[in-house]
Amino acid sequence: MSVQIQSAVRAGIDPHLSPRSLDPEADLMLLHFGPQHPSTHGVFRMDLLLDGEIVVKATPYVGYLHRAVEKLCEKLTYAQVTPIVDKNDYVAPMTNEQALNMAFERLLGIEVPRRARWMRTIFAELQRIASHLLWLGTFTLDLGGALGGGTTLFMHAFRERESILDLFEDVSGARFHYNTHTIGGNRHDIPAGWDDKVKAALAVIEARIPEYEAMSVANSIFVARTRRIGVLSGELALELGITGPNLRASGVDHDLRRDAPYGAYDELTVRPCVASEGDCLARARVRVDEMRESIRLVRDGLAGLPEGPICGYKPVRQPTQVKVTAGSQVYVAIETPRGELGTFVVGGGEPPTSPHRLKIRSPSLHALSAIPYILPGHTVSDAVAILGSLDPIMGEVDR
Amino acid sequence: MNALAHGAAYGAVIATVLLAMVALAIWFERKLAGRMQSRLGPTMVGPVGLLQPIADVLKLLQKEDIVPADADRGLFNVAPVLAVLVSLGAAAVVPFAPSTIAADLDVGVLYVLAIGGLMVIPTFAAGWASNNKFALLGGMRAVAQSVSYGVPLVLATLVPVILAGTMSLSGIVAWQSQHHWFAVWPVLPGLPAFFVFFLALLAESNRIPFDIPEAESELVAGVTTEYTGAKFTLFYMAEYLHTLVGSAVAAALFFGGWDGPFAPGLFWMVGKTLALFASVYWVRWSLLRFRADQLMELCWKRLTPLSVALVLLAAAWVQFVPGGGK
Amino acid sequence: MGHVLDALRAMGTTLVTAFRKPTTVEFPKVVRPRAERYRASFALPDDEHGELACIGCLACERICPSYVIKMKPTGKIESPVTGKKRQYVDAFVLDLSACIGCELCIQVCNSDAIRMTREPEVPGFSREDLVLDLERLRANAREKTMSWGKGSELQERQEPPKAEKKPKPEVAPVAVPVAGEAR
Repeated sequence: MSVQIQSAVRAGIDPHLSPRSLDPEADLMLLHFGPQHPSTHGVFRMDLLLDGEIVVKATPYVGYLHRAVEKLCEKLTYAQVTPIVDKNDYVAPMTNEQALNMAFERLLGIEVPRRARWMRTIFAELQRIASHLLWLGTFTLDLGGALGGGTTLFMHAFRERESILDLFEDVSGARFHYNTHTIGGNRHDIPAGWDDKVKAALAVIEARIPEYEAMSVANSIFVARTRRIGVLSGELALELGITGPNLRASGVDHDLRRDAPYGAYDELTVRPCVASEGDCLARARVRVDEMRESIRLVRDGLAGLPEGPICGYKPVRQPTQVKVTAGSQVYVAIETPRGELGTFVVGGGEPPTSPHRLKIRSPSLHALSAIPYILPGHTVSDAVAILGSLDPIMGEVDR
Repeated sequence: MNALAHGAAYGAVIATVLLAMVALAIWFERKLAGRMQSRLGPTMVGPVGLLQPIADVLKLLQKEDIVPADADRGLFNVAPVLAVLVSLGAAAVVPFAPSTIAADLDVGVLYVLAIGGLMVIPTFAAGWASNNKFALLGGMRAVAQSVSYGVPLVLATLVPVILAGTMSLSGIVAWQSQHHWFAVWPVLPGLPAFFVFFLALLAESNRIPFDIPEAESELVAGVTTEYTGAKFTLFYMAEYLHTLVGSAVAAALFFGGWDGPFAPGLFWMVGKTLALFASVYWVRWSLLRFRADQLMELCWKRLTPLSVALVLLAAAWVQFVPGGGK
Repeated sequence: MGHVLDALRAMGTTLVTAFRKPTTVEFPKVVRPRAERYRASFALPDDEHGELACIGCLACERICPSYVIKMKPTGKIESPVTGKKRQYVDAFVLDLSACIGCELCIQVCNSDAIRMTREPEVPGFSREDLVLDLERLRANAREKTMSWGKGSELQERQEPPKAEKKPKPEVAPVAVPVAGEAR
């Protein structure tokens, strides 16, 4: 219903209409921005109908990375599922684990100890910095090419991301897929001396952010490539269910960390970064500002970290130790670097040690649904920039 | 000996040396890029990675040679060869030392600009003949870009021609060696003219920020998408050759070519060429690329009026400054 | 003009970086020290009596989400070292190429019999090179350094606080069709 209104209001191109039906004589070229392409952020396909270089219609196709994660989770038990969902949003794995385990805790009625909640918050914010660094690197890579200035910023951003991954390695033993969250809390406690390392790493990153800005959001070529490109209005974003930095860059001040606090966010002050233009530049600026905000939150988190136990439920000893009776369901959502990641669990599977249904609400899927609306009217170069600025991660889009 | 034999002999030597320098240039660029990105660049193959370009060329040469099914075979095969020939051709009139020049044409500048303008043909042929939409888009953009940036290129080249009073490259270099380098004095038409020439050189050789014909993140590999093996090697070499020869021409036109104290002219020429070549790559590894329409706007709305003004200034300088600017 | 100034600023950043020390660590000439808890490969160490610590309780085989562990327990035998009856394993196979590195097998082992190692396996030329059998796992225990994680220690550190009354579950029961019913 509101899709037609939206299109009518914008008086632009209705994404669901076939341009050839409007004008059969038009000389349009169909370009498959196929699953194999240097800048589709994973296996993602867009069919672009081009009039010269202008995109007239864009159709996204997802599903190339579908790994049947939700079905697999129905087969495994509650205790075994955490390392599987690690691989959904593979750029910010701590957040996947956190969303999943928070849902299980709510389902079982477990209270998570304070120290575990604070630790989870610190990890989530560090993960946010790492994810935005990766995004910044790949976005400038899209804009500037793999053989040029884009690569330079990419290498610099990854250098800083390495230091955060080293911090995670110190805590959990793994650099990428940690499996450090568990039902009731965390599995690994913070080792001695970790907070000094964190502070040192944050100091380096904070000093380097102005360098990144000089080569990205404050750079006039970048601004020329991203200003007024891919404007996503706040209403359209809300209709499509877009959350996170994409929504905040369109002027809607909505952040789950402040509006529906979880973890330690009820005790920490979160100041969401909001922009109003809704174009690629606004999304880029919001993410760079969020990096700074996350640095501050990590520092506050470390300062206020309480002592105590790190888990509020029995540790994993056998797969069948968690049983959930039929008839209970829960939905828990957290604010990841991409938006609202939600886990919907229905308990009481056959056997009761497995979930009956585990559904993951991924923010990147909703972000990609904006493509048919905001891409038409721009050129092919802009298509790449817009896709990059939405920050989709195909692992969580396709699950 | 007569001009043909002279040209053939010197030409063969210069072509060989240039091709060898391409290998060195590839190594240099990769090391430079590495350092700018806080990493090392090639280190394993040969001392400090000096043999890396040889390894790359050998690897490329042994790849399967694929011609797409519905491609225009003739054009497809000819395009890379033409690209290399055109890039090498411009080196015929560049004075490498006071008497080392393959063909001392009276209209050397005209010849360089004409040959440089020919470069659009192999690029577009590659894009068209590949039967690939990405390549076609790249080819379209290449034509628009090369033809458009030819205008400021020609106008910027006119400035040293007017100031020196001759179209022969060796004559321009000789004039600069007797008087002063054009990029240094007169500052007003000289330095901005070099700047415009530099930007146009970046655009003609498809270097970032003007590399939309081969924009890897948008068009996979642009015009060279369907090329593999030896033909890709030729395109790859042609890019570096074009940049090298363009830098040599810029050194000759604006920085006095082989002019310089205490060392033989060849050293100065090579040094200036390498300095300009390094600048081209310094710009490349620092900046993002322009979109096609922004690039056109930059050319037509900013560079072309600027270069017309510079030509007029150069003419005014020669006419009104006492001594004709000597 | 703005483009020129910003371009020069970006070029300045790259120039400054060009003169800094590169961050590259030339592996394998230089190996960065791994964290104490780094988990790479697996090992089956010996217990304090010098014989295989693994008692074949199948806990790790059951917990593994990727089903990479298969073992054949022997049944209770008298130990040649201590004289007591205990179980061993005849065969223990861990398919490293399918392992997702989640450390759950280490977590559940009450005997601290399976550990992760801090050095990864050497890359192999065939799939079989990455299937770790009992010999290789015992060899890893002798040759590689163990990661910090041990089953007993992980479980002890994760014990919930005692005497905490669990609050009432917050979810209200909702009638949901269970699999097999009324489809």
